[in-house]
Amino acid sequence: MSLTTRSPRDGAARDVSTTGRRGTRPTTPGRRHLLAAGVAAYLVTFLIVLPILWIALLSLQPSDTILSDPFSVKSLTFGNYRDAIASLPLLQMYKNTIIVAAISVTAGALVSFMASFALTRMVFRRRAAQSSLRFYLLAGLAVPVYVLLFPIYRLDLALGIFGTYAALILPYIAVSIPFNTLLLTGFLREFPTELEEAAIMDGAGLFRVCWSVVLPAMRPVLATVFIFNVVYVFNEFPFVSILINNPDLATVSLAVSRFQGQYTVNYGGMMAAATLVLLPQLVIYAVFQRHVIAGLTAGAVKG
Amino acid sequence: MIWISSRWKIALMLAPALILFTAFFVYPVGYAIAYSFTNSAGFGAARFVGFDNYVSLKGDPFFWQSVRNTLVILAVSLIILLPASFGLALLLRRIKGAGALRALVFGPAIIAPILVGLIWVFILDPRVGLVNRLLEPLGVGPIQWIGGNTLTPYAVSLVFIWSSIGFAMTIFYAGLQLLPSDIMEAVQLDGATAWQRVRHVTIPMMRETFAIVAILLITNVFKIFELVYMLTGGGPVHRSETLVSYMYFVTFTNQRYGSGMAIAVVIFVLGGVTSLAYLALARRRNIA
Amino acid sequence: MFGPHLTTRRRIAGALLIVSSLFAVAACGGGGGAGTGDGKTTIALSMQNPDVKTADPATWAIIQAFEKANPDIHVDVSGQAVAEHLQRLTIAAQSDTLPDIFWVYKATAEDMLAGGRLMDLKPSLDGLGVTSHLPPSTVSNFTADGKIFGVPYQGLLTGLWVNTRILADNGLQVPKTFDDLVNVAKTLKSKGIVTISDGANQSSFSVWSFLVWLDRFGFEDKIGGILDGSQSYNNQDFVRMYQHIAELRDAGAFATNVTTQTYQQAVDQYLKGKAAMLDAGVWAAGAIQDSAVGADTIFWNGATFDDGVGDQNIVMNVASAPLVVDHKVADDKSKLAAVKKFLAFYYGDEAQQLLVDNGQPPVTDYQPKIDATKQSVLKSALDVANDPALKSPHTQPDLVVSTAVASAMYDSIYGVIQDQLSPDEAAALVQKALDAK
Repeated sequence: MSLTTRSPRDGAARDVSTTGRRGTRPTTPGRRHLLAAGVAAYLVTFLIVLPILWIALLSLQPSDTILSDPFSVKSLTFGNYRDAIASLPLLQMYKNTIIVAAISVTAGALVSFMASFALTRMVFRRRAAQSSLRFYLLAGLAVPVYVLLFPIYRLDLALGIFGTYAALILPYIAVSIPFNTLLLTGFLREFPTELEEAAIMDGAGLFRVCWSVVLPAMRPVLATVFIFNVVYVFNEFPFVSILINNPDLATVSLAVSRFQGQYTVNYGGMMAAATLVLLPQLVIYAVFQRHVIAGLTAGAVKG
Repeated sequence: MIWISSRWKIALMLAPALILFTAFFVYPVGYAIAYSFTNSAGFGAARFVGFDNYVSLKGDPFFWQSVRNTLVILAVSLIILLPASFGLALLLRRIKGAGALRALVFGPAIIAPILVGLIWVFILDPRVGLVNRLLEPLGVGPIQWIGGNTLTPYAVSLVFIWSSIGFAMTIFYAGLQLLPSDIMEAVQLDGATAWQRVRHVTIPMMRETFAIVAILLITNVFKIFELVYMLTGGGPVHRSETLVSYMYFVTFTNQRYGSGMAIAVVIFVLGGVTSLAYLALARRRNIA
Repeated sequence: MFGPHLTTRRRIAGALLIVSSLFAVAACGGGGGAGTGDGKTTIALSMQNPDVKTADPATWAIIQAFEKANPDIHVDVSGQAVAEHLQRLTIAAQSDTLPDIFWVYKATAEDMLAGGRLMDLKPSLDGLGVTSHLPPSTVSNFTADGKIFGVPYQGLLTGLWVNTRILADNGLQVPKTFDDLVNVAKTLKSKGIVTISDGANQSSFSVWSFLVWLDRFGFEDKIGGILDGSQSYNNQDFVRMYQHIAELRDAGAFATNVTTQTYQQAVDQYLKGKAAMLDAGVWAAGAIQDSAVGADTIFWNGATFDDGVGDQNIVMNVASAPLVVDHKVADDKSKLAAVKKFLAFYYGDEAQQLLVDNGQPPVTDYQPKIDATKQSVLKSALDVANDPALKSPHTQPDLVVSTAVASAMYDSIYGVIQDQLSPDEAAALVQKALDAK
């Protein structure tokens, strides 16, 4: 049983070189396809990114002409950023968001992983129980968040955590469970079990199997789960607007709504705040992506 | 795996998730269902009214309009988004700068839905929007992309596709990364063309991934709210509402909490049923 | 190797670690609260603007002045955009955790009063002598069950702002009758100018000038019967009114993107001189004054109808959504005293002048000092409001019905404006909402 041949890997970057067979290299039509693919990829990406670039442009428009002349490049100014930074405690909001995100995303991933492992790998006395539990958890995906607002507010009050970080963290963990479970059970089911069985043969217990065998193999999925949940926390609005009374605990998703008055809206400020909230998330995504790939190309998973 | 599957170990692994989920999801859903049988305004006295709220939904043209709109968005989004995001995931692997491109494509998914709606209003508004301004010198009359009588659900689909494509692509990408390499190599060496590889090997092996993405897209379509709210406010006169935006209107704007929760139950059931239907269909056709 | 015992212990340790860290976070996370450590009493004021200082300078100025005059009281003012604000209040009302003083729609306030969530202000207001300075219609508007549940926050003086220069440039005068208005619309439409700037996106309530039309077709006489079911909203007079809206629409008075335009965008269109009239109220005076069209703007109380019902010479000058007080304040001696002082201050002359200085009309019978040039726009509105030849209805039509019926009213008006409903359908829509009780 060779463990090294079962490595999950990205794309086909190493298709060509390592086989030792003679003569089978991608033919010229393949190369041309690659070029066409590249052009298409860049084009599509550019089109997708265009509106985002436009947010950046809008954030540089002076607020008195932003509605009438949103496309002009005449009088660009950083005034909106000055406004946004001056009127918002941005650093504190970031700090709050990062704390809430760090705890809720980690705990959510852990809790969901445990449940997903149990629902796919472990053997239940009754098969039916296992798949019904899985459906039970996944059913949460169909529930719109506004349904949860009233009752969770009361729950937070009853638990005495209203007005603390936990008021947000617990709901966030709970809300992430269906999504995480969907991804984790889905990928675990596709993933072969030989490695784990080998480890158990070697005497590993539950914890060891999870920690040393399964989790590392699931790295791309876990990275995806992390990224999505972090983005969710950064942009989540309904819970924050209801459960946070103390402005010291505000997260960055409230930054944008700060510019919305009853009769007046500061669009320029909103766009500047939006850009300031957007950039760190893009950075986190880029870093996470590369980190995951680096881990994978380092080699196969060894038992 | 039977050796590590003692009963209490299973219980331990499942407990935290089950407890949190039950407290924060099942209790609220039960709460909502209970309230859907009352005429509550959100606070104060609530009178039990049985199935009245559901019955009045049957005769509510705005409600049915919102169902129609949501289904249109669902159909358009699924048909376009599944192949497009999968294709993009395949595309953005071997080319130069793929990592950066993937990060950029994910960009729209990072923007809060409220902002997504806001900027797309500036693009699609029939009078001051970018698209119509560009079309004007070409003599194309002002098309009512949003706020008109027919095109709004399609415009919402477009915006939804734009904001979700990076999200779906990332999941497909993770799935592609997990494909066992020996099989992929073997198929490549057998001289199969890229298209054959994809169609007969990759897609079947990614069945679960396709299921995941489809379920996510379906449930997300049923939850669309801020997009519609920012683009048209649900107008004109509730013509472009989606299920959740109409529920929001009834619950919070009209202060009819009981009726709103009835709509919520409908959303929940529809979302669940559609997802299950998809899974059943996929299983039968034995593809993604 | 790890035996089963150690694995189990590890798991338990891990679980305990997670749980305890959660509790630690819960304990040390967040702080703040009404700090009365320095002997100050704090009252929480919750408004419908996240940034009260910028968006509601009048209230901000009053708070600053009040705190200066009462150094032992601190007003902790906060706010959210209207939709969230109302959401939070509804949720808080369910758990009886409402803020001390807050702004809320009148219909919601009445529901809250019925649910026992609000304090009866009658004893306090009578004791402070404030009641006699408020317009009687305002007091009766905010009275239910013999209790006064709210006090006027700011005035609701609505009508059409008119850019006289645009009219003059096109050989037009400020219209008086409805037929005048239709002619103005036709002329301006041929020149590609929007006559009335309105935005329906998330602001379906922004049809103030059309709500006044209901009063020009006998709303005040009919509403009693309509509410108790003896009369129908779907009557000839109201349908005629909706027909007039349709005529105005067909004359090209409105922008083509009313559906996707928000109220703020509609205001912006007017301020940039792209529309001849703005459907709004006195709260826009400040922004108009500061803009390029300020010098040309006057306030018009709307068109009269030859086929209307009742007195046509009216101007909508009523109280807007109220400020209300949480019932728990009555149980807290120091808070009650502080709130009373705040109310006394708010309705005193100094605070009312501050309202005027910040572009709002006074809500008591105070006669403000106003600079005719620097505040020409506001003065124009106040002159109309104080015109002895004009009377005001008791209240705005949407303020005497439930929120659902009010929504139906807005939908009916915008429905005709946006060519989605015929006049008959529009009236029927409102009647349907009334029947759904």
